Amino acid sequence: MIDTETTPARITRFAFLGLWLVISLFPLYWIVATSLKAPGAIFRYPLEYWPVELSFENYVSLFETADFGTYVVNSLLVATAAATVATLISLLSAYVLARFEFRSKSAVLMAFLVTQMIPAFIALGPLYLLMVQLKLVDNRFGLVLVYIAVCIPFCTIMLRGFFANIPDALEEAAMIDGCSRLGALFKVIVPVMKPGIVAAFIFNFVNCWNELFLAVTLMNKDENKTIPTALNGFITSFNIDWGSMSAAAVLTILPTMILFAFASRYIVQGLTAGAVKG
Amino acid sequence: MAGLGIGLAASLALSGCSGTADDGTVTLQMVESLTNPARTELLETLIGEFEEENPGIKVELVSPPTDQADQKIQQMLQSGSGVDVLEVRDLTVGPFSTNGWLADMTEEFEGWSGWDALTDNARNVATANDATYFIPYGFYGISLFYRTDLVEQAGFDGPPESWEDLLEQAEAIQDPASNTFGYAFRGGKNGYSNAALIIEAYVADDLDLENAYRLKNGDSMFAAPEALEAIELYFDLFERASPPSSVAWGYPEMVEGFSNGSTAFLLQDPEVIAAVQQSTAITEEQWTTAPMLVGPTGKAIQPLATAGWGTAEASEHKEEAAKLIQFLSEGDASIRFTEGNSLVPILDGAEDAEFYKTGAWESYLTMNASPETYITAVQPRGVAWWTEWSEKADAEIQQVLIGQLTPEELLAGWDAYWVEKWASE
Amino acid sequence: MSLQLKTTKERPSNAAGAPGPGTAPGRPAATRPRRRAFTTRRGLVILAFMLPAAIFVGVFTYYPMIAGSQMAFRNWKLSNLTDTSWVGLGNFVTVFTDPAFGVILGNSLLWVVASIVPQFVIGFAIALWLRRRFRFRGVYQALIFFPWAISGFLIGILFRWMFNGEFGVINDLLMKTGFIDQGIPWLAEPGTAMFAVIVANVWYGVTFFAIMILAALQSVPDELFEAAALDGAGKVRTLFQITVPYISTTLALTVLLRVIWIFNFPDIIWAMTGGGPANQTHIITTWMITMTQKGDYGVASALGLIVVALLLVFSAFYLMALRTRKEV
Repeated sequence: MIDTETTPARITRFAFLGLWLVISLFPLYWIVATSLKAPGAIFRYPLEYWPVELSFENYVSLFETADFGTYVVNSLLVATAAATVATLISLLSAYVLARFEFRSKSAVLMAFLVTQMIPAFIALGPLYLLMVQLKLVDNRFGLVLVYIAVCIPFCTIMLRGFFANIPDALEEAAMIDGCSRLGALFKVIVPVMKPGIVAAFIFNFVNCWNELFLAVTLMNKDENKTIPTALNGFITSFNIDWGSMSAAAVLTILPTMILFAFASRYIVQGLTAGAVKG
Repeated sequence: MAGLGIGLAASLALSGCSGTADDGTVTLQMVESLTNPARTELLETLIGEFEEENPGIKVELVSPPTDQADQKIQQMLQSGSGVDVLEVRDLTVGPFSTNGWLADMTEEFEGWSGWDALTDNARNVATANDATYFIPYGFYGISLFYRTDLVEQAGFDGPPESWEDLLEQAEAIQDPASNTFGYAFRGGKNGYSNAALIIEAYVADDLDLENAYRLKNGDSMFAAPEALEAIELYFDLFERASPPSSVAWGYPEMVEGFSNGSTAFLLQDPEVIAAVQQSTAITEEQWTTAPMLVGPTGKAIQPLATAGWGTAEASEHKEEAAKLIQFLSEGDASIRFTEGNSLVPILDGAEDAEFYKTGAWESYLTMNASPETYITAVQPRGVAWWTEWSEKADAEIQQVLIGQLTPEELLAGWDAYWVEKWASE
Repeated sequence: MSLQLKTTKERPSNAAGAPGPGTAPGRPAATRPRRRAFTTRRGLVILAFMLPAAIFVGVFTYYPMIAGSQMAFRNWKLSNLTDTSWVGLGNFVTVFTDPAFGVILGNSLLWVVASIVPQFVIGFAIALWLRRRFRFRGVYQALIFFPWAISGFLIGILFRWMFNGEFGVINDLLMKTGFIDQGIPWLAEPGTAMFAVIVANVWYGVTFFAIMILAALQSVPDELFEAAALDGAGKVRTLFQITVPYISTTLALTVLLRVIWIFNFPDIIWAMTGGGPANQTHIITTWMITMTQKGDYGVASALGLIVVALLLVFSAFYLMALRTRKEV
């Protein structure tokens, strides 16, 4: 950093950042605290700001009635597979959109942007019919296919930005050395763009992990359900029971939180990939 | 290029849909819509017993989250695949049968030994309009849940009997400073149902019991002068004796408001009994139920609400589906289902069981014993415009609550709406 | 319409180039695609690389969407699907003549503007202040990124619980600190309900801006600041005359994407108020869900197409304005 910071400025900065940290985390703290209170304590008045008597009853009842292992495995499988394939496919399309000029390029970009504007509901009915015809209803593979399609547009737009910042001298050199274009892309550019690709992957993963409506529509059997579908069932029917609801919510949020804790470094790094000098 | 994708996808597809396996086993897909974990568990158990009795039939239960269930079921029915047996409600039987999605099970149920065991109400519902689209699994009936301790503390020697009593007692109990409120008002989703209930109680003598939104003289009940009296009292109940946030309260919030101990009165279905029993905020001694509230002429209307099991028209296994529904609709299975979900039973004599004689169920016996006071009536819940009506009515009740509409305007609008709909029928 | 996502020529002097997270392709001159003559080989590469994406988006997004759009022009009511005759623009007329539509359109606008402005300002401030290294910065980033990982539906549930009129923690905190004497029934009154859902949305969305802007900021070469410091430019002037212009492409396109997403984001409102009380917190997309539940798929689809149309028009004007400003 070049400029020096005065003490008041420093205090303002940390005060603001500290305040936002509290604001960011309080709702999460509150739901965790609620989930750990004994069922009756939630409505005790005045409010208890922490679980005075710690109780895991809400979690126990959830695990008793639901097959959590299966849901976690399904979610992990589906989200990982979809995010991986979508990132790979987007890598190709983003590369072309960043490196080539062609007449329909604006139209392609616009077509990707429009997918972000469509309320999912319009497509839900016909999509279900399509999946029935493909015999892919109630099938994890089918859900993966749909999720890939959902992820591609934004992922492409995002990755295209990163490509734009990598000098194309890199792959040209590789191609002169005898690599094919695809070879040059994966051998030379991908390593340089790694943080950006990780960021794109995480974005896809989180989207798939949280997706609810398509999963509800396309999956039937309990053994095929993903976490959001299963927990949405709990949440909506437990509406009267904030304790169980909170426990269900905490369980949904937890895996993505862990992922974020490990990967947050990559996210900023990834998004700044384009800025890597040299 | 789409072809390539489809080919690829199809070749990778792992499993098929419901159908007949090589060994002749039939797999039935059964879809529920009012899903909740405890009920699903009970249903799975019953299905397990059914499969044991019928080795050639497997049943796969599909339990979508309640909020999304209706839309999912519609999509399944429209695609004609994936459903054999489904939960049919009095609200959905109209549209589903109009669209040709429900099978008329009359043939499959001819000679069914279970018919004679059903109550009159159950039989009537199951054979309405000369077709059997579903066999009800139970009935919902409203009663007044109340806090015995709060009523006593406020100096009353018993629960309210009429709507006016309710206002008086609820107002006496209301104490926002200590987070105690009188009545768990339903201002949110399906709030119109309780508004209709009080109006029906006020016009009970003139009401057409086969179409409980209409008077015997053919007018809509909303046009009756008593209706205004009723609805004004109803809104007073909100103003003077309910939590302010109840403008937005739907089913979950009301039940929560009662079971967390913050409100003294709640009008709800018997299934709520089980939910309140699980409450840790109030004990069994602190609450019970009372019969429905009567109007000025001492009568109350009990609307008949129900749901049950039906067969999809597209099902290729209607016979097996009928077997499953029959299994669930008779004997031990039916009794366990209604008791487990706190429903008014469909089997004659089932209400004589010990289960229905104790505690919170007593008020239902009282109501059953005096059909002249607690009159059963059928609301026009099967009409094509019912969901449109419920959305409209809900929004307009909230408009009154937040002061955008007067009660007079509300009733005039409702009257005009129903008159027009009936005329176009 | 020619989409001006490529804003290549705007900053020929940049050596490092803008980062383009998400959307901004501010491309350094060195890597600008060369306009070469069309060759079959080149065409094949383009085709081969685009094909997988095109197949997926075509089959699983565009085909169902186009197939679904026809419902908007038909009488598609759940109550009777045996007669789904074409009604032309009838469903659109129903939407536009609905007395609630004005309120809903206004709400949609308020929802977007009132959500995005604080998201942007707070996100910008965080990014700016996070640019400077400090101990535990990595941990701090990880912590404030959490909201981004939660689904909109859950956020709605979370805030509905906190804004609960009787047992909500927000009322309790406000009463403890003496701001109010009596609990506010937040979700029961139109004004406070709209406020509550927007608060939830701001909480959720700040992170996205913070990440994007932070990424963009880190691409601003230090030399620029050094030069500004030599010129004796103040902090504020540096910010507005150097930093903001440098990352403006990223900012502009991030805002565009957010506008599209927020406009199209019913989850939080649906989970918190369901559009109530009395339709006063409905935006177009929550209204659409209500119409679906009502069984009027025709009107719901018409609303969906209206959303797409409005966003297309907005994007077109937005991108056009962006281009005009750059070229002046």
